[in-house]
Amino acid sequence: MLTKVHTGLEAVPGIWWQPAHKTEKVWVAVAFAWCMVLFAMMPLWHWKGGQNPSGVRTRVDPKAYFARTVKFAQQYKVGDDRGIPIVQPPPGADVYLVGLTYQWYPILKLEQGKEYMLHMSSLDVNHGFSLYPLNVNFAVVPTFDYALRVTPTAAGDFRIICNEFCGIGHHTMVGRVIVVDSAGRSVADNTGARVGYGGAR
Amino acid sequence: MTAAAMGAVPGFRTCPATGHKIDRQAELLIKVNAVVAVVALLVGATAALLLALTRWQAVHLLPAVWYYRILGVHGMNMLIFFIIFFEMAVLWFAGTVLLDARPAAPKYGWFNFGLMLVGSLIVEAMQWSGRADVLYTSYPPLKAHPAFYLGIILFAVGALGVVGQFFATLTIAKREKTYAGSMPLVVYGAVAAAIIAVITLLHGAAVYIPTLLWSLGIIPTINPQIYRLLWWALGHSAQQINVAAMVAIWYMLGALTVGAVVLNEKVSRWAFVLYILFISMASAHHLLVDPGFGPEWKIVNTSYFMYMAVLASMVHGFTVPAGMELGMRLRGFTDGMFGWLRRAPWGDPGFSSLVLSVVVFGFFGGITGVTLGTEQINIIAHNTLRIPGHFHATVVSGTAVAFMGATYYLLPLVFRRKVAFWKLAQWQPYLFAGGMLLVETGMTFAGSFGVPRRHWDISFSQAPFDVPFNPAVDLFLAMVGIGAIIAVIGAYSFILIAVKSVFFGEPVTSFPRGVVVAGIPQGLTHPPVHAANVNEINEKLHAPGGSKLGPTPGTVVLVTAFFLAFVLYYFTNWKLLSFLWKIG
Amino acid sequence: MYPSPDDAPKSERIPLGQRLFDNVYLLLALGLLVMLVVFTGWGMWEILSIPQGTLP
Repeated sequence: MLTKVHTGLEAVPGIWWQPAHKTEKVWVAVAFAWCMVLFAMMPLWHWKGGQNPSGVRTRVDPKAYFARTVKFAQQYKVGDDRGIPIVQPPPGADVYLVGLTYQWYPILKLEQGKEYMLHMSSLDVNHGFSLYPLNVNFAVVPTFDYALRVTPTAAGDFRIICNEFCGIGHHTMVGRVIVVDSAGRSVADNTGARVGYGGAR
Repeated sequence: MTAAAMGAVPGFRTCPATGHKIDRQAELLIKVNAVVAVVALLVGATAALLLALTRWQAVHLLPAVWYYRILGVHGMNMLIFFIIFFEMAVLWFAGTVLLDARPAAPKYGWFNFGLMLVGSLIVEAMQWSGRADVLYTSYPPLKAHPAFYLGIILFAVGALGVVGQFFATLTIAKREKTYAGSMPLVVYGAVAAAIIAVITLLHGAAVYIPTLLWSLGIIPTINPQIYRLLWWALGHSAQQINVAAMVAIWYMLGALTVGAVVLNEKVSRWAFVLYILFISMASAHHLLVDPGFGPEWKIVNTSYFMYMAVLASMVHGFTVPAGMELGMRLRGFTDGMFGWLRRAPWGDPGFSSLVLSVVVFGFFGGITGVTLGTEQINIIAHNTLRIPGHFHATVVSGTAVAFMGATYYLLPLVFRRKVAFWKLAQWQPYLFAGGMLLVETGMTFAGSFGVPRRHWDISFSQAPFDVPFNPAVDLFLAMVGIGAIIAVIGAYSFILIAVKSVFFGEPVTSFPRGVVVAGIPQGLTHPPVHAANVNEINEKLHAPGGSKLGPTPGTVVLVTAFFLAFVLYYFTNWKLLSFLWKIG
Repeated sequence: MYPSPDDAPKSERIPLGQRLFDNVYLLLALGLLVMLVVFTGWGMWEILSIPQGTLP
């Protein structure tokens, strides 16, 4: 029993709480099933998939975190690039990265296929960790230590773009991550880069 | 007070086209909110052009300080001032005109409008003078001048006031029995928008009042993660107001342009109720790669509670075009599967806006939104240009285009003026939507290469390290620039038409039936009325044994194509995610 | 019971679902409640219960 034909502009007298026609029922059933698939994918990926933003999340004082990062850099320093230490921690280690206006500190040198606990936080304002060209993106929020278990899957010379507006120098904020392969080789050295106005402050 | 008596009361006029009783005070409030909305659109569209010509690296128009400054201006003017002033007009319209009712306490309508206007001017002044270089989101510890936050609070209080008046108007209309039965579906959609607006604005108060106190030095710190939680409850939910309002307008434009019918009130209203209950939770989309929350909270919220609000959108995605198809088939457009669509009034800018809005919102905006809002997929998308690529497809190509389409009917019906520059008006939706599609496509592809949003210079000319983007990125950013030029011409056209019509347009006092009039859309001169035996025809169409695909076969084909596109895009993104480092 | 169905009092005929859906204030209350509990309340709890880090 269909209600009288009417448009969405007309008031609806009587009982409009009627069963749907078969076509609508089928579409709702299909859409509902799809929604269940969409919902199931997320827990499924936690169970079976390799990329999840869970991490180990703690509260920190920004200055204390920065000091810890500096200590980490000094402990595992293997070189320098444009005034920023290149730091090579052993596999399995707690690795510290800090974002501050306007740089990423330090430069990390990691090994392909090995797992690290990558800690991220900010000394001052919100920053955005964006690992180029893979496109790995995380929010870097001051007073929070976002620690993620990461395993680089390929060697290369990566960049960390800041993709959260942090002030007038936001577009000069670029970091570097070097991943060496199992023989200890990095892919090309950063010969194409130019010395710019930025760098460590 | 009965509806009959109201026509004789001096506070009302009777619409010559629809027969609705229009309260004169409500009418004035509709007009003034719509006009201010268009002024904000002008500011926002100009800002858009400047920004796009800066992201197009070959042009790189603005210097850094002005890029970030105008980016904030663009966000505020488009996402808050333009859209919310227009929605206030929609609420005044839906609560009074569509119900033949008088507005509740219209004097307060002016007070609330004043609050919104003063608030928006203060915010504008702060942004342009460089005292609020914190972008639209103003994340602490970035800090703006206190007046910036105060202006937003005034605006929000005014808007909340209007929403309250809308609810009061509904109560009055029900009590005074100005309509029989349940309110029209279009008004129901406006109710969904209004409820989401309450959720939005209350969270706005919760986030901006402490932030104002912090900017004044009265409280020492703001927890940056709590700010992000509460701000996005305001910021993303505001976009869901837009979704509900847009869908309500879809039903309205469908009815006005082609006599679209409501397939089943229960089904469509269920979809609006699901919006009310669950759609605001998806504010979590912006917090999926934040440290503040565990996976359970992220999964439950980002899924709008097991994707029930997505179910709602998919329902409207069927019932809106199906209602149009059925409405046309009932009026005799029964040739083939798509004869109704081919022979539809494509020269009516109200109709073309409707179709463009539905198609681009659904296929581009909706699919990308659900995909990018998946907890893990967000890892490859957060803060890249894919995000603006998504939301321009929803809020601009979806909501703004629908609002523009509604304006083409608002002008002759409420402002009682012919639509000026009629030939231009007929092309305007295509121009605007076409340009925007280029912008959205360019943004989405550039973002998938890692290009960040809200960023002045991806050549990184002032950075210590180079970032050698794939050269295709330059092509995509040029696409954004060129698309923006076309879209802004489309936006300026709309504004020109609106301003000329409202202030200098030819007055309309009657709607001659059956005559094609330049400046009056066909839905008003050739109203899509249904035959006297329409219910008989409807029963026949729904009888078993008809077409395998039911009474609306064309729509079934369209939604099937949509579904396949959804499945493909969604799983492709999971595949792309799997190529990443292991992260957990 | 009545000469014709139209003579029955309205409240006897309108299904519960329709009456609930017509209740704007109920919908407002539910919409607010769900959001405030599932998103805001739970979200605040998540943030505030993050433990202090030891920076190992």
